[in-house]
Amino acid sequence: MNWTTKDMDTYLQQKEYIDTLIVPLLKVETKPELLKNSSSSSEFLMYLTTFLETQFKGRMMLMPPFIYTQSTNLSTFSETLTVDLADMPFKHIFFITTDAQWLSVEIKGQVIWLPSIPLESMDEKLRQTIIEDQLRQVLPRFTEVWST
Amino acid sequence: MSNKVSRRQFMSYTLMGTGGFMASAMLMPMIRFAIDPVLQSSDGGDFIPTPQKVDELTETPVRVDFTIKDRKDAWYKSDVANTAWVYKDGDTVIALSPVCKHLGCTVNWSGDESHPNEYFCPCHGGRYKKNGENVPGTPPTGPLDEYEVKVEGGLVYLGKTIPNTLV
Repeated sequence: MNWTTKDMDTYLQQKEYIDTLIVPLLKVETKPELLKNSSSSSEFLMYLTTFLETQFKGRMMLMPPFIYTQSTNLSTFSETLTVDLADMPFKHIFFITTDAQWLSVEIKGQVIWLPSIPLESMDEKLRQTIIEDQLRQVLPRFTEVWST
Repeated sequence: MSNKVSRRQFMSYTLMGTGGFMASAMLMPMIRFAIDPVLQSSDGGDFIPTPQKVDELTETPVRVDFTIKDRKDAWYKSDVANTAWVYKDGDTVIALSPVCKHLGCTVNWSGDESHPNEYFCPCHGGRYKKNGENVPGTPPTGPLDEYEVKVEGGLVYLGKTIPNTLV
């Protein structure tokens, strides 16, 4: 499900089936020399989460990305998130990011870190294959929590 | 020099020029409108070509990816990647939509080891038979949708999704 009114209506009626929350964490770099990399990883994260959502629409709610800049204090950020996200009745929370810093931050839920792959130079078919490969790698993380 | 343009001649040329231009600007859309059906390509442009060759299809469903170019969603213009499960039943080509009828996940052929030769939805374990019929006792309440199929030049073309006609 996407964070849209239409999908939200479906969610509100089918809460027991849609029990997984996907939270993209997107780091935006503002240093001029890092702008290109930053946009590339943002693109990658968006492609990946959109694809993930289409594959598992009926079990996942994809939140709009949480965006922060390089000087954000991640531990306070994660504390706020942990508290606020707990208001929703999701059984499983997954954070998806390309920022490796999240691996050392304490947060309630699972952090899936993926190295960003520059997709912009690829043709559509290759891009699709790459995204699918990436998804196949993280898939066990989901099936593991779903099967318990 | 005899081809000197007189003041009166210059005036009438200019008026004719601008007048003609204005008239054509008005007439062109009218003419285009009138002959529009002729200009349009004959086969309803709704069919999208896929890279799948008909000869290579078997009784086992295969995944076919295709892209709808330039779909406009409000102001957002994008290419939409789409998939279908395509197989041959005798001589007819059948293409099923991979969208689960339960809550819209993507189903896979033989996606579950304990239920081969069925479509499997990884979200809540929904299952469908090869023709798209939902297996009773699993969450889906209806059969998978079907794509309109056209074969041209040995390639499979897919159109709109329609309710399953095989079940």
